[in-house]
Amino acid sequence: MLSIWIQNAVSGVAIGLLYGLIGLGVVLFFQTTNLLNFAHISSAMLGAYLCYMFNVTLHLPFVLAMVLAIILVACYGLLLKRFVYEPLAKREGGRLEFIIATMMLSVFLLNAVIVLWGGVPKPFPNVFGDPAKPLIIGSVAIQTHSLWVLGYVTVFVIALQSFFTKTMTGKSLRAVAQNQGAARLMGIDVEKMLTISFMLSTGITALAGILLAPAYFVSLDLGGGIIGIKGFAAAVVGRMNKPYVALLGGVLIGLAENFVVLYASSVYRDVITFAFLILFLVVRKKAEV
Amino acid sequence: MIRRRLIIGILAVALLSVTFVASAAATFKIALVAPFTGSGSILGEYIKNALVLAVDEINAAGGVKGRKIEYVIYDDAASPATALNVVNKAILNDQVDAMFGPNMSSCVLAVNQIAKDNKVPMLVGATSPSFGYDMIGNDYLFRLRADDEVKVVNLVKYAVEVLKLKKPAIIHGSTDYCVVAKNVAVDSFKKYGINTVAIEQVKEGDKDAAGQLLKIKQANPDMLIGLTHEPEAAVVIKQFRSFGFGNVTVLGFTAWGVPAFTDLAGSAADGVISVQGFTPEYKDAKVQEFVAKYKAKWNSMPSDPAQAYYDGVYLLKSVVEKVGFNRTDIMKGLTQVKNFPGVQGSLTCDAKHNFTNFSLISKYKGGVWDIITAIF
Repeated sequence: MLSIWIQNAVSGVAIGLLYGLIGLGVVLFFQTTNLLNFAHISSAMLGAYLCYMFNVTLHLPFVLAMVLAIILVACYGLLLKRFVYEPLAKREGGRLEFIIATMMLSVFLLNAVIVLWGGVPKPFPNVFGDPAKPLIIGSVAIQTHSLWVLGYVTVFVIALQSFFTKTMTGKSLRAVAQNQGAARLMGIDVEKMLTISFMLSTGITALAGILLAPAYFVSLDLGGGIIGIKGFAAAVVGRMNKPYVALLGGVLIGLAENFVVLYASSVYRDVITFAFLILFLVVRKKAEV
Repeated sequence: MIRRRLIIGILAVALLSVTFVASAAATFKIALVAPFTGSGSILGEYIKNALVLAVDEINAAGGVKGRKIEYVIYDDAASPATALNVVNKAILNDQVDAMFGPNMSSCVLAVNQIAKDNKVPMLVGATSPSFGYDMIGNDYLFRLRADDEVKVVNLVKYAVEVLKLKKPAIIHGSTDYCVVAKNVAVDSFKKYGINTVAIEQVKEGDKDAAGQLLKIKQANPDMLIGLTHEPEAAVVIKQFRSFGFGNVTVLGFTAWGVPAFTDLAGSAADGVISVQGFTPEYKDAKVQEFVAKYKAKWNSMPSDPAQAYYDGVYLLKSVVEKVGFNRTDIMKGLTQVKNFPGVQGSLTCDAKHNFTNFSLISKYKGGVWDIITAIF
């Protein structure tokens, strides 16, 4: 029983880290723009599909494929700013308009991917380890892929935290998010900071998409599935302001899911998990920028 | 002058309309409603390719009773609400003579009443027993593949009678396809006096079944019955292999026997036994002829349920050639189909409006399906 319990915890953390990974991007974007991008998860999908295309279809080395995919998605972030955010901002469109616009954008991108790659999920190469051959410690199986994700998020969260608190660009980004007018008066190049925000958050989410692909396959679930909602939930659990708490939020969701199955029922897994999340949101304090 | 121009204009429009009606009347119009997005999107391409292949072949050979077959294709996104919208459009706007699909049972249940009310014959590849003629009594609804009840019963029979297994655990999805199959499996095991030791659900779109599998492991089963769709099947089998289940035999439903599953699962799929509606590996002359044609046209291999829709178009053609273009006559003609030679063997309309009970039990080994037995 103990080994089952530990295995459940390990598996819960592994899947939760993936939710947290998406949550991190949400927090990053919110922290730097004070906006919610509902097409956030689409960047993950685009990252995975582009990486798949470069690596599997065009036979480029994996690292090169990954870098190209991230650069292209970051460029898409630039277009998102230029053609969605800027026109809205010019016409004094607020956060609500941006949310609605990005919601529609996510549907558009989902359908664009269907047109370009079809609806059939594609297997992602086993670059992060063969899932059928996990690391066995005692009687507990740990996927090497989960270790990659853990390694990445650890480095990333530390880097992100220092970036926001220690570097001038990071501080400027936060200042722009808090008050664009004041930031401009302080001599911060707001346009440049916003461009960095859009490119950074989409590029980082593209990398998350590539890390998710071994578990999620190169599939539409990456761009339109429940992972997006769970990522947002993780970010909100993290109160939208602390990347590492968003990550813990994701892990919490992953653990809740697995233990609901163990102690209650798999049929009610999402019902119980989401009821728990709603309760959490009701009692939590207000999100801060 | 103006009046004269007006009259000429009206006459021109009238003439054009007549031409349009005449050209419309010169075709036999069918609709294909299939999922190209959403949870069943894996199937849409196969279905469309098979249907277009059959239609192109028939049109190249002169059409049906002198008319070319014209088709319109709609995406139902595997969603009953979307299916309802697109079927309304196909029947009311496009005024199709017959309809292929939807391919998801829940969508069939959502739209069958419109087809019935408008007297449009519907030929579907969906396999849930829940919309059989014995259940809903729609004269216009016909099934092109073996229904799931038959397939699950055969799978259970194989597990118990041939493999001599006694402790089943079931992992199933949440759609009608999966839940009905689960109920049939549990009942079938009961008939052998066998109780299912664990039943767990993995929802469509989920990429983690660790909790469910660990719970199943605790029940110590000797077989795992997988009744899910393809992506979840791949998730389950990959995690199943990593948890060291030992000698537990994995038997999967139809979605566990198609490339959409084996491509995603990779080597983890080795050893899975599945009940299949079709496999291109089946060494039957009709099957191989269909596979060759499909491959030549689309440069890819067909997969279940492609064969059903290919059969369906030819079946419909043979009926129209006998009874003409009246939709009620077509419906009656379909009920009288007997021993029609199809890719799925000899097709006959039975009391449930099913044309076939054809299925295969196969084992996946080294990248190919080894066919154990064919059931007609």
